[in-house]
Amino acid sequence: MPPEPGFDLSAYFPIFLYLAIILGFAGTTLILAHVVGPRRDTSVKLMPYESGMDPVGDARQRFDVKFYLLAIMFLVFDVELLFLYPWAVVAYREGGLPAFLSGPVFWGVLVFIALLLVAYVYDWRKGVFRWR
Amino acid sequence: MHDFNLFYALATIVGVFAVIMGTCAMLIFIERKVAAWVQDRLGPNRVGPAGLLQSVADGLKFLLKEDIIPRQVDKVLFLMAPAIAMCTALLAFAVVPFGATSVPPERPDLMVIPVSGPVIDPMNDPNVARLVTKFADYDRRTAQYRESYQFVIAPGLDIGIVFVFAITSLAVYAIILGGWAANNKYSFIGGLRSSAQFVSYEIPLGLSILGVVLMTGSLNLEKIIWDQTGGGWNIFVQPLAWLIFVTAGLAECNRVPFDLPEAEQELVGGYHTEYSAMKFAMFFLGEYTHLVTTSFLNVIVFFGGWHFPFIATAESGWLIKLLVIAVKVACFILFFMVVRWTLPRFRFDQLMALAWKVLIPLAIANLICVMIVKQLGWSVWILGPVSIGILIGAAWLSVQPMRVEKASAAM
Repeated sequence: MPPEPGFDLSAYFPIFLYLAIILGFAGTTLILAHVVGPRRDTSVKLMPYESGMDPVGDARQRFDVKFYLLAIMFLVFDVELLFLYPWAVVAYREGGLPAFLSGPVFWGVLVFIALLLVAYVYDWRKGVFRWR
Repeated sequence: MHDFNLFYALATIVGVFAVIMGTCAMLIFIERKVAAWVQDRLGPNRVGPAGLLQSVADGLKFLLKEDIIPRQVDKVLFLMAPAIAMCTALLAFAVVPFGATSVPPERPDLMVIPVSGPVIDPMNDPNVARLVTKFADYDRRTAQYRESYQFVIAPGLDIGIVFVFAITSLAVYAIILGGWAANNKYSFIGGLRSSAQFVSYEIPLGLSILGVVLMTGSLNLEKIIWDQTGGGWNIFVQPLAWLIFVTAGLAECNRVPFDLPEAEQELVGGYHTEYSAMKFAMFFLGEYTHLVTTSFLNVIVFFGGWHFPFIATAESGWLIKLLVIAVKVACFILFFMVVRWTLPRFRFDQLMALAWKVLIPLAIANLICVMIVKQLGWSVWILGPVSIGILIGAAWLSVQPMRVEKASAAM
């Protein structure tokens, strides 16, 4: 029977176990700190900290659109990165890519990176990376 | 492929967990001592012999102090944020080999076996026979791999380093949720800045590792170590990639010179301004665990893991390998600490410019060089000088102030 190359869930079982232990630890710590620590609430103590002054307005205000542009750029690059990982794994290892595909894939990836660079240069010229 | 061995897994998890917790507690003490030495002070020396019990006292105090939850916060998110920070940092360690490991056997590929003729007689076909022996060999090596103990929580996980990146990048949720939920202006600005920094530096971090993956042909960290035992450490082949990796790694750890989110002088405490007692300690713990993981990754990917010429080779015992990797990691952590007390903090625009205008182009240039060398079948040793050449070129470009000024004025 030809085995499926690749995925095997049992390799991940230790991680699930580890995650359960970590989550348990985090929860216990939070509850323990809540139970053990003293609580003496005063209205001033429960105010948001604003350098000793009474807080002015709400903290959740509008913010610079730069952060939004940055998030979009991050998405573009990160998705590109995700596409490059599988290629990087199979490209030059033994029994990875068949020889006749080696050339086309090489040029294909170069074009892929070049396309991204065009967007990158455009963003640079538009001043996305300039913070003032 | 792998049978799940509950005993091995539990023993490893408990061991790793205890060691990480202990290390983090000690690291806080060591950090304060290093700071003291750098600044010509004594540092903590009152609790216990030579101040060694300082961390225990700190831990107890974190637990016994008042746990303030301010009135205006979003309670659920406010409680979740420190838990996420700690859990993601700890979870990332699951695939990091911390001692002797052997390489998980790779499943033979069906695709590359050519069909010998138009008529296939499966009983007598030589290719089929070869395939059968290959799979028998694979089964034997898998059994061998399973029997020997591997110093890693989840052995043989083929996504390896991508898992680490995926989990550590979740830590940005802790920061942004913490900053948002606190409903405090300092927290909010700190959270925004920090998330921008996190996502920016993730890209050079991921790109710098691609060159190594191209050479190794695997994302598995055990395989990456094994690859370096024969042909020299990756740092000699790809110094530029390491430089990018260590810089971005520092930024991901939120350490000086990249600790903008916690810039005390401008933002009080950044995203954890409103946190106190144990919840603050959890953020702290997450940060130090992240530091340990980053040091391990540096050692494994670029400095040969447990390998050291003449001292720890492939045939050495597990104890010496464990010691070698521990010493290497300790050196890295000390390096990070000395950096923290040596360099001043960046300005925010400098921070962003470094990620987007310097590290990303350099990482892409490095990747293309590795690609070309691999495609043309040249020796990978060419890459070392090429890396240094790129670095010198970039340095030369960066000290041309007139050209940069003109270019931005023309826009």
